[in-house]
Amino acid sequence: MRAALDPALLQATTSSVFRHESLPTLPVSPDLRAMFPEGGLVRGRTVLCGGDAAVALALRIVSQPTQAGSWLGVVGVHNIGVQAASEQGVALQRVVFVQPATSRAEWVSTVAAAADGFDVLMLEVPHGITVADARRVQTRIQSRRNALVLIGATQKLALQSVFQPDVVMDTTTTQWNGIERGSGHVQSREVCVTVSGRRVPKAQQYSLRFVG
Amino acid sequence: MNVESTRVAVVACPDWQAVAAQCELRARGQVFEAVAVLHAQRVIARTAAAAAHGVQVGMRKREAQGACPHMHIATHSPERDRLMFEPVVRAIAELAPLVEVSMPGIVVLATRGPSRYVGGDDALAQRLTHIAEVALRELGQGQQIPFGVGIADGRLTAMIAARSAASVGQPRVVARNESAQCLAVLPVSVLADFAEVDRNVVSLLQRLGLAHLGNIAEIQPSILIGRFGPVGNEMHRLARGLDRHPPIVVAPPPERASTHRFDGPVEDINIVVLTAREVAEQLVAHLAAHGASCVRVHISLHTDHGEQSDRVWYQPEGLTAAAMAERVRWQMEAWVASRAVTSGVVLFRLSPIGLRAREGRQLGLWGGSTQADEWAERAIERLTAMLGAQSVLVPEWRGGRDPAEIFALTSASVVDIERRALSCVESETQWQGALPTPSPSVVYDDPLPIMVCSEDGAEVTVSGRHELSAEPSVVILQQHQYSVISWAGPWPVEERWWDPARQRRMVRMQIVVSRNDAATTTRALVVVREHGKWWVVARYG
Repeated sequence: MRAALDPALLQATTSSVFRHESLPTLPVSPDLRAMFPEGGLVRGRTVLCGGDAAVALALRIVSQPTQAGSWLGVVGVHNIGVQAASEQGVALQRVVFVQPATSRAEWVSTVAAAADGFDVLMLEVPHGITVADARRVQTRIQSRRNALVLIGATQKLALQSVFQPDVVMDTTTTQWNGIERGSGHVQSREVCVTVSGRRVPKAQQYSLRFVG
Repeated sequence: MNVESTRVAVVACPDWQAVAAQCELRARGQVFEAVAVLHAQRVIARTAAAAAHGVQVGMRKREAQGACPHMHIATHSPERDRLMFEPVVRAIAELAPLVEVSMPGIVVLATRGPSRYVGGDDALAQRLTHIAEVALRELGQGQQIPFGVGIADGRLTAMIAARSAASVGQPRVVARNESAQCLAVLPVSVLADFAEVDRNVVSLLQRLGLAHLGNIAEIQPSILIGRFGPVGNEMHRLARGLDRHPPIVVAPPPERASTHRFDGPVEDINIVVLTAREVAEQLVAHLAAHGASCVRVHISLHTDHGEQSDRVWYQPEGLTAAAMAERVRWQMEAWVASRAVTSGVVLFRLSPIGLRAREGRQLGLWGGSTQADEWAERAIERLTAMLGAQSVLVPEWRGGRDPAEIFALTSASVVDIERRALSCVESETQWQGALPTPSPSVVYDDPLPIMVCSEDGAEVTVSGRHELSAEPSVVILQQHQYSVISWAGPWPVEERWWDPARQRRMVRMQIVVSRNDAATTTRALVVVREHGKWWVVARYG
């Protein structure tokens, strides 16, 4: 048919097909793009950052989405350095810090309420959260199409058993630059990131440099 | 009688934020003569004692401290301003049942009823002066708090009259239909001071040679509208002593008051506020469908025991549903704090009593607010209602040398989220003596104690000349032993050495440590030594 050969129509059809296939993602900064199999933070999925540079990496991951207009809800993450977040490129005018109540049920409902409003959520999982709670949160995240970034400081194994992260990023600082025995100051750090998880075909290692 | 402006009385306490802070400090047993309130590093209000030392509104913190070193500096707290002002509002509300509090420190009431009741404007002014004096004397515990009473046609003239009355100490009544003459000789800067006209616009007026309000009133409004848009018309009306917006002459839409009756008495403020939000949304949508938006709303709350609270709230740019719900919350909180409530709320009513034509909202040139901002705003409202205002926070830049001081977290419910999303929050400049970048990503609210030891096991100390007693070799943190790989410092930090009560003297160091058993993981810490002890204040996490 004549209409089917119309190039504009053809393009519209193919692009809609592709849009259906490709997953909705939020942008990440160029140096992190290789670490995400889809080239960005996939909406509805969970990324767990662990190891000694977990907070710095998590801040780096969420910086681009906030600059692009997404809001970041930081729920229950204690002692986060706001100045460091600003240096990593997080747009602070779109960041809200939420301190949930201590009880388990209220933690879940707080995260659910935050998921309604903020595109990206950064969580630190408190003690006593059960597998059922975690599943409820993840279902909510999937249905609301948020991106979830978990910070697991030390008890990484315990966290993994509660949440089912799609991508796990384990960090190890290999070198501190600029500081010596009694002189200089910390100028940058080299971090080795091991990316694994059920959505990652093959675990791989990347090296990243963190500067202010 | 001039139909385009209502005759109003204004009771104003200049620099209320500073007075409220002073009263709060006095309640805690700390007496300060000079107090200034800072917001975003600028002085927004100061007490008379501080003003006598030359502290001006708009000064930066350090300038102000230089002018008056013994001054107490308080942070801006709209919550405190409202609660401290409540006794004054309550006292005035006994004379005139319907009073309007658009901002803490200023009470506005229509004079028509009360003036006839007490016998004229002059008598009303005397009466209000007496009431405010008694209430403020009690609040100030004997110390005098400056205030003024002004009566005039139109809000702007009455505000200015009240302000001048405060400096004279006598109430000031501008006779009927004389507002325009009274305003004509005033400089245009009063538009920015009292009517929230943008300062850039005022500065432009001055550069155009329009120095006085009289000059503006003489120009044809069409010329001002052509140059400034709707603001031009508003300024022309204000300069002529009229109300900012012409009253709507078309018949108001029907069922404009929204009443909600609860099934039973409700004692939880959050439930009332959330319900009010829903009702307000319907009301605002209903008004918008008729091309109107509400600038003044009368909120009425009733309890099961027949107590009643009535307030009028005003916002010149129009009240959104969120703003109305916020006003309900303020009114409820003040009412509960006054202990005049003995039962739950059974009914509330929102009546829009001042309407203006809806002009649509001006969005930013680049983008403007988005759907995401609207969702975020709703989530913030909801979370605040669930968890309380102190648990939902947004960062504001303050500046400082301590990593924990650079940004302060303020309650998101008192921040205009829509405007904030269009602005940019970031560190303005790095202070001299702050930690060099990169900044630590984990900053402890409560510093952790740490032991820093030399090779022979003795604690490392710092001399008065900022020299280490020995090279640090081992640290003990939370019962774990780590060996020191490298360190930098000590860097001396001396803050507020001129103020014995708040001075700080310490040294700061960066230390990179590794666990003895697992040499692969290293951590960089920021440690300080203060009062003879080492503390971990931050970590590069």
